[in-house]
Amino acid sequence: MSQTREVISSGNHLAALAGADAGCRFMGGYPITPSSEVIEQMSDLLPARGGVTIQMEDEIAAVAAAIGAGMAGHRTMTATSGPGISLKAENLGLAQMTEVPLVVINVMRGGPSTGLPTRVSQGDVRQAKNPSHGDYRSITLCAGNLAECYTEVVRAFNLADRFMQPVFVLLDETIGHMHGKAIIPTEEAVQAGIVPRKSFDGAPEDYHPYECEPDQPAVLNKMFTGYRYHFTGLHHDKNGFPTEEIETCRKLIQRLEDKVMMHTDELELNEEFMLDDMTGAEGEVLIIAYGSVALSAKEAIRHLRAAGIKAGLFRPITLWPSPADSIKKYTDMIKNVLCVELNIRQYTEEVERVSSRLDIEGLYKVNGRPISPYEIVNKVKEVF
Amino acid sequence: MAFNYDKYLRLEKMPTLWCWGCGDGVILKAFVRAVEKMGLNQDDVCVVSGIGCSGRFSSYVDFNTVHTTHGRTVAFATGIKLMHPDKYVICVAGDGDALAIGGNHTIHGARRNIDITLIIINNFIYGLTNSQTSPTTPQGMWTVTQKAGNIDPTFDACALGIAAGASFVGRESMLDPKKLEKILIKAIEHRGFSYLDILSNCHINLGRKNKMVSAMENLSWIDSITMPKKKYDTLTEAEQLNIFPTGILKQDTEAREYCDMYKEIQNVQQKKRAVITQNDFAKKI
Amino acid sequence: MGTFKTENPGNAPVWVNTNNCKACDICVSVCPSGVLGMRYDSKSTLGAMISVDHPESCIGCNECELTCPDFAIYVADSKEYKAAGFSFAKLTDDAKARQASIVANHYMSLDVQGVQ
Repeated sequence: MSQTREVISSGNHLAALAGADAGCRFMGGYPITPSSEVIEQMSDLLPARGGVTIQMEDEIAAVAAAIGAGMAGHRTMTATSGPGISLKAENLGLAQMTEVPLVVINVMRGGPSTGLPTRVSQGDVRQAKNPSHGDYRSITLCAGNLAECYTEVVRAFNLADRFMQPVFVLLDETIGHMHGKAIIPTEEAVQAGIVPRKSFDGAPEDYHPYECEPDQPAVLNKMFTGYRYHFTGLHHDKNGFPTEEIETCRKLIQRLEDKVMMHTDELELNEEFMLDDMTGAEGEVLIIAYGSVALSAKEAIRHLRAAGIKAGLFRPITLWPSPADSIKKYTDMIKNVLCVELNIRQYTEEVERVSSRLDIEGLYKVNGRPISPYEIVNKVKEVF
Repeated sequence: MAFNYDKYLRLEKMPTLWCWGCGDGVILKAFVRAVEKMGLNQDDVCVVSGIGCSGRFSSYVDFNTVHTTHGRTVAFATGIKLMHPDKYVICVAGDGDALAIGGNHTIHGARRNIDITLIIINNFIYGLTNSQTSPTTPQGMWTVTQKAGNIDPTFDACALGIAAGASFVGRESMLDPKKLEKILIKAIEHRGFSYLDILSNCHINLGRKNKMVSAMENLSWIDSITMPKKKYDTLTEAEQLNIFPTGILKQDTEAREYCDMYKEIQNVQQKKRAVITQNDFAKKI
Repeated sequence: MGTFKTENPGNAPVWVNTNNCKACDICVSVCPSGVLGMRYDSKSTLGAMISVDHPESCIGCNECELTCPDFAIYVADSKEYKAAGFSFAKLTDDAKARQASIVANHYMSLDVQGVQ
């Protein structure tokens, strides 16, 4: 039997379908352009499968209800855009602290503030890294085409349960509202790949949800199953109860860092487009782009190659934690590097950091319009 | 033997971090007694609290417990309850928690009439953060943020709950633990949004600058501003001005509960019934 | 760690757990029968501690237990207490008068003199 199917749909609808197929059974949402289609679609999909989609009174309540369902033990999600993430920030921190899995879809629009609600941007990349105060590591995936609106949301649900924390999926307005054909996995194939969160099945008195190896996430059993423990945003002990004990506090926050950063190999996912013939020779061009911009970049690379300029694309799909070693490998090899983003240097700064290079060229656009392939071609010809 | 509280309390967390004479402890005890009398299974109950002194309530009771962010108690509880309509979900929040920062969630939880019990521990002040004005601080009282005297008009918490659509609204104070226990049982048993305004003392942070330095002085002030509803109804409007009626102020057993209503949405989406129309509701506007 | 004393320590009508008492005076104030009083105690946080001075006057009304915020005072279960052959006292005028004096003495036991 075929493992894939062909659908004609939009990015936002595919993201919703992916959630439903991946076993999400609760969505808390609030209308916001350009992500509203996700909750609109979910309000049909989830009740049809015995789940719940609720439009809450505000963005904060939407994420809170979703986290509540996650605490109860269910796969859960919310979808919004930049202003919504700003409002949800505190509770996203609570989910990080209590280690509750959650998928957050952010269909990015122009910012700051109300910005350009109906137009495209990648302005929330830096926000996704640290939406809330305190130390923790964000896991952020970024869909670069229609099919990935589906596959990255599925992956996000599995990663959320593996790492026990919120996982962001960034779409941008262009991808979210793009409508067309996509080849996506079948529902059966998705369900066969589901790895549910770990649980403890010993005696309740031996259960300590937050007592785990220093690089592993908490093991949170479902609520109402006889394992009673406590969730709190305060620093907490092995059973989840507030504590100020020095070592316990240090270990907890260090573990939130290490459970992600010691397992980046499980998170990294990139697309390398026309990079396999790169040798490091003079004149080669490395373009780094993600999201809808990468579609323009690929088109630009075809034009550049036709004009005799050997260009290739490195596209991180997992933005945070960044694929540091892979970026370093290519930026060490190729001299001419161009980052293309619909923001001002938000990911370029990360490329500079991991490559230890300060001569990275950039093409940035923040007027709500997409970047065309020709702008990229012209920029490459201009700076290299 | 005396009444055995041990089963429902996390004894290793005792004594509580609340101040001497704090009404939170009296309410905690009444709650434990109510749950014991109802014979609830600890695994079937989830207690959700917010931030403030009342936020610690959840860590002392041996149920499934959640200590959430400031004011968001009802929103978190909504997610838990919708996924487990057959379980008891009980929120504990302070007056600042439920009526100021979380006011939106309080009114919309009440509007949906979801089967959650919201216990508002109303001590008329922000206690944990040391005496800032709350939405229930009486006008003219001293607070650290209104040292010249509080000018902010106050909420009547129960009037708010009734207007927002809660199907059970009641008020008691920690002065009468027996009545408190009874109203807690009725509120938890009620299917729908149960909204309780429980008046409590904070002689430390409300009392010390408002001539109620001891627990007892604070309690006698609460006594002077409360009256059972039956007696309250006999007062003139002018007399009612400075009195809070206590007891069950509203109970509507006909109002439809949100989780039950949501099942109808599922039925529509699962093709078990036709779409919901205005004909399904008595109230059309 | 707090310890609870729901077990009757020896056929008493009312007993206390001094580990939990925070000396708030509430139980003393609600007793109708002058059973309780506070005593100075240099080892207590607030410098005072609950004392059961007149257990023989306890009428078993349970008010002290119900209003104690800290699970520090307990009253015997009336059925068990009676089954064991004991009985609670009746409220007397003497006990009421003693209660009034205790309240007037700022909730301190009557043999504590010079209360500020």
